Amino acid sequence: MQSVGWPEETTLLPVHPDQVWVLRIRGVITAAPFVALALALDFGPLRETPVPAGVVPGAVLLIALILLVLLPPRRYRAWGYREEEDELHVGSGLLFRSRTVVPFGRVQHIDVAHGPIERRFGLATLILHTAGTRGAAVPLPGLRHDDAERMRDRIRAKIRQDLV
Amino acid sequence: MTEQPPAPEAAADPPVVGAATPPATRGVPMPRRLHPATLIVRWLRIVPQLLGGGAAYAAIVDGWGRILVFAAIAALVGVGIAFVVWLRFRYTVASDEIVIESGVFQRQRRVIPFSRVQDIAIERRLLARLFGTAKVKIETGGSAADEGDLDMIALADAHALRDHIRRGHGEAPAARMDEEPVLFAMSFARLFHSGLFNFSLLFLAVIMAVLQNLEQVGMVSMEDWFNPERAGAVAGYLTLRTTLILAPLLILLGIVSGLIRTIARDFGFRLTRTGDSGSRGLRRRRGLFTLSEVVIPIRRTQVALIESGPVTRALGWFKLSFQTLGADTKEGGVQVAAPFARMEEVLPILAEAGFPIPPPRAEFVRIPRRALVRWAAPWLLIGAAATAATFLFEPGAGLVAAAMLLAAVYGAMRWRKHGYALNERALFVTDGLLKRRLWVIPFDKAQTISVSRGPLQRRLRLATLLVDTAGASMMRLPEIVDLDRAEADDLAGRLLGLFYRTRSAARMAGPPPPPLPPPTPDLALS
Repeated sequence: MQSVGWPEETTLLPVHPDQVWVLRIRGVITAAPFVALALALDFGPLRETPVPAGVVPGAVLLIALILLVLLPPRRYRAWGYREEEDELHVGSGLLFRSRTVVPFGRVQHIDVAHGPIERRFGLATLILHTAGTRGAAVPLPGLRHDDAERMRDRIRAKIRQDLV
Repeated sequence: MTEQPPAPEAAADPPVVGAATPPATRGVPMPRRLHPATLIVRWLRIVPQLLGGGAAYAAIVDGWGRILVFAAIAALVGVGIAFVVWLRFRYTVASDEIVIESGVFQRQRRVIPFSRVQDIAIERRLLARLFGTAKVKIETGGSAADEGDLDMIALADAHALRDHIRRGHGEAPAARMDEEPVLFAMSFARLFHSGLFNFSLLFLAVIMAVLQNLEQVGMVSMEDWFNPERAGAVAGYLTLRTTLILAPLLILLGIVSGLIRTIARDFGFRLTRTGDSGSRGLRRRRGLFTLSEVVIPIRRTQVALIESGPVTRALGWFKLSFQTLGADTKEGGVQVAAPFARMEEVLPILAEAGFPIPPPRAEFVRIPRRALVRWAAPWLLIGAAATAATFLFEPGAGLVAAAMLLAAVYGAMRWRKHGYALNERALFVTDGLLKRRLWVIPFDKAQTISVSRGPLQRRLRLATLLVDTAGASMMRLPEIVDLDRAEADDLAGRLLGLFYRTRSAARMAGPPPPPLPPPTPDLALS
């Protein structure tokens, strides 16, 4: 029942580096419609205007590429976690940094989710559900799938122990 | 009408145990159906729905003549639907669970173990009272809105079911309700008084709804009524004089409709203590037309909230509510325990529910001065820009400047009132300038604890701390906004430690006995 309190943010463990690629591929999927829209505009309405062909899609593509290079590593670094005896600390958010602690005794159920992109890299997202309101679901992405399952099993055992 | 129902009010009040005890206790539980009066009530609800579209169609295409035909068809179809739905709805009360089977085509079978039941509410609308029946709402804290509604069963059955479920929890069935100690009750004078402060513009919504319905039937045309030309004409009438007459009229209507609403809801408000030491609960009964009765089990209360508006606070009136686990979606899991009470009345209820008494105002820790950069400075900046614009080119911007200055002053004053306090059992958070709120969050009710920092907060070395609890309303969370960053981290660590300490202590000793309320302190809300 002892807890170490609130460890420094720098002591959080980073998630798996491959998470950068998961974020990047998600970024590509997000950017694709914008580029497609720019291309459609370029072949359509923009032909009537003095804007030279290819400028608009080029600009959109450039912005998308820059974002795809810069953003995923930063978003990746924003995530962090620390597994304690009785609780999980999760750090997240790039613009709005947040640190959340979930005592295992409060966990209602646990999900290990892995979508198609995550599966490709052997990663998974651990989601702890509590009865809370804003923090009702605390996700922790970028864990190796077997790590996530190991954590889930440990937390589950903890909960059971807590019930007895 | 009086021939069908068997003496409604007389048979209603004493909680009958015995004849109406669910058969579960003796051998194999039998499936049961809802009270037959449900047929009539449901029919009354279905027919207008069936009629709605058809009537509008008939009125437009054929004039009013066919409406009668439609009405007759709708009435007949309604009987059929009501009967089939009634026939297909069955519930079975076993010794440790209730099984509800419903659905006409797609059958649904829902099993609710009694150990999962948070709260049982008994609600009686006007018609239900006429028939001596009640709607039972079994709340489990799950997400489905009407997950365990029995609408309607005989009142005696409802009471028996509740006692049965309480027994399943290992709790004694309620003693006679009338003998329970009263914690709070409102006289009609008090109720009237409280209604005066519940200003409501509901009547506008009601008028609009009526108009809309009439339009659907084709009696009025909203487009004719509210077109730009007319709006222009109306604006022409809005001189100073007519405004001076109209505004008080609107306010008066607002007060009256607030009064009516309050009286209808809180008539006969009574909060009593129910159950014995291990299973204490608060029983709340209220309502003029719709009688509702809720038992709030004390060990399921999460957070207490004391609030008061600007005028009511000056007059010394407060509202106390408890956040409970059984999330009644309509009220965000918040149950009012005393809608309009003196602080001397609020504190004993708080103590009765096992919550600590808030410390005096002086013991609250305020947030740092540099937080004003977030609370007031943005408005000041816009205000300054607007002031410049006023003098340079656009005199109309003066209004904006004034509004921004007001917002800045409001922000600064609210900043002064925001703060938190700790005692040995709970965290207290206050917020709000006009409407003041004070949350009491016992350490062991925390679900998660989080500290977050936005971009501006990071520059100012500030952070927001939230102790998340079950059943809170998304709109009003007891956040401590803009604490010093180091202090927020430190406080979060301490809260986590206190969480473990109180939880393990509670597990060793059982629930702590409610302490006696001290003489009214100078409360943070005042």
